[in-house]
Amino acid sequence: MKRIRIAIQKNGRLQEDSLSYLKKCGLKWNKMNNGEMIIPCTNKNIDLLFVRHGDIPEYVKWGSADLGIVGENSLYERKDTYVVRKRLGFGRCKLVIAVPNDSPILNITQLEHERIATSYPRTLTVFLKRKNIQASPISIHGSVEIAPSLGLADAICDITQSGNTLESNNLRSITTILTSEAVIISNDSADLSWLV
Amino acid sequence: MKNINKPKILKGTRDFGPKQMAKRQFVLGQIRYMFETFGYDTIETPAIEYADTILGKYGEEGNKLTYTFKDNGGRNVALRYDQTVPFARYVAMNYPDLPMPFKRYQISRVWRADKPAKGRYREFYQCDIDIIGTTDLLAEAEIARVIVAVYTKLGIKNFKIKINNRRFMNSILNRLGIPEELQTQVLRAIDKLDKIGREGVTKELKTIVDGDTMRNLFDVIFIRGTNQEKLVALSSDDTDEIQQFLELCTLYGVEEKFLEFDTCLARGLDYYTGMTYEVVIDGIDVGTVCGGGRYDNLCEQFCDKQFSGVGVAFGFDRTIIAMEELGLLNDISLNTKILVTRLDDVSMPYSLSITTMLQIKNINTEIYPESVSLKKQLKYANKKNIPFVLMCGLQEQNDQTVIIKIMGSGKQKTIPRSQLVEYLNGALKREIL
Repeated sequence: MKRIRIAIQKNGRLQEDSLSYLKKCGLKWNKMNNGEMIIPCTNKNIDLLFVRHGDIPEYVKWGSADLGIVGENSLYERKDTYVVRKRLGFGRCKLVIAVPNDSPILNITQLEHERIATSYPRTLTVFLKRKNIQASPISIHGSVEIAPSLGLADAICDITQSGNTLESNNLRSITTILTSEAVIISNDSADLSWLV
Repeated sequence: MKNINKPKILKGTRDFGPKQMAKRQFVLGQIRYMFETFGYDTIETPAIEYADTILGKYGEEGNKLTYTFKDNGGRNVALRYDQTVPFARYVAMNYPDLPMPFKRYQISRVWRADKPAKGRYREFYQCDIDIIGTTDLLAEAEIARVIVAVYTKLGIKNFKIKINNRRFMNSILNRLGIPEELQTQVLRAIDKLDKIGREGVTKELKTIVDGDTMRNLFDVIFIRGTNQEKLVALSSDDTDEIQQFLELCTLYGVEEKFLEFDTCLARGLDYYTGMTYEVVIDGIDVGTVCGGGRYDNLCEQFCDKQFSGVGVAFGFDRTIIAMEELGLLNDISLNTKILVTRLDDVSMPYSLSITTMLQIKNINTEIYPESVSLKKQLKYANKKNIPFVLMCGLQEQNDQTVIIKIMGSGKQKTIPRSQLVEYLNGALKREIL
């Protein structure tokens, strides 16, 4: 019988919660060794695949994994469509647009022709288009929150959980683009009828 | 004294200024892009041909409307009247070298010595696609698929491809006992429905067929319902091909809502031999924007070899009119998006390096040609509707920054040179990959 592969984070904010969720579902596996990528479950026909967060949708897309646990927000950055099988209720966060505390910008219409640093350019572009705001996303990988103080951007668009990072970088949120949580995804062409 | 010729153009011809051309080029580009996406290649034929190549192919009316003249060598020549006849002549001369089936698109000017009227010109463009050398019905479905792709790409959402079928109409006319020699007349009368209404058609048909036959004919051509309901109701006639065509369209991704089986559609039924198409845009009163169908023998006037084909012609001018009415061309501006100003001779090399940097990234950029006052340069930007003006003086050169003036709002921003391309890509809403 075919073994089901579930892709989860090798490391990152969702890993712990993902593993405890799978445990709660009744899956059992032997203690993991460092660096091991595939861990077979001892009581089910299931393998756990540990990969980099950003690669999970990729593995699911190509069918190398049947299912994946990812933050919903990361799906909006991708052109491919996935089927969200289940919302998991953990890993909650928001994608917000924030500006420096001393910025004259108070609402999103004032973002016109400003620069917005982000690791989520696609989501931001769609948002701006929908709101009919002409602003420039500036793509930055990581440490987006320091871009305004370096003069690289007038605003940022980033994930926040508690709001602490924003606060400690003297930023205030002016709008929430979306809220997100961890979800289980499958490829939209995957035939999972055999999975009962 | 110099002899000055009063500038004028011929009736029924047009000049297009830069603003109009920007729109026309945009639309043409989208249409061409879609044709190529579906694997069509293009050909070009001469604007002038031997007169006897063109004449006698379009009937009495066409002969009258063809521009003919003697060239300087005394040869009788004609301007092309449409693209189909030159295409047929080309195929007859070149078919051994052509891939068969042959899929070609052709976009060029044609000339007709017609009386100019609103929307009717003596010189205009036609955009044709044809698939020749196959009788497979998938070709018909593909033509429908291309029509949907083109109009969708142009941003037109509500349109209908009206379809009918010659074989089906034949089977009805035969069943009603209308003699073959009268059938063309009957079809021509039905075709006038849009122009002269039901009453007018009734009047005209009365002179051709008897009252009972006409009532029976009306029962068929004025049938209402969805495509499937009509097919079921008319299943005693020859509807197989229409049924198959609709099924293939579904497989090819043509949404049902775009297709309307229209039993009144009789355009060109004296020429076409199978499926026929006519496209109308909802709420836009320009008439048919695209039409065509299946024909049996493209080159019969030029060679013995038979080429069956199917194709449509997109009415370029009507499509432009429709898009303007729908406000789809409002955002089309002239080509320049960025004007780099000339501030002083010292910072000129820096300004020029910014200009080339943007041009290399395919952002349409020009540098002001002369060193004149900033006021004059901004006026130039306004006149050309250039949305962004860059100013790079000595200060900016030292800081490796650029001042951007957003002409719409008057807002000014200073940003690092290294961010300029990314900023402008966002500001110009260029697709990010």
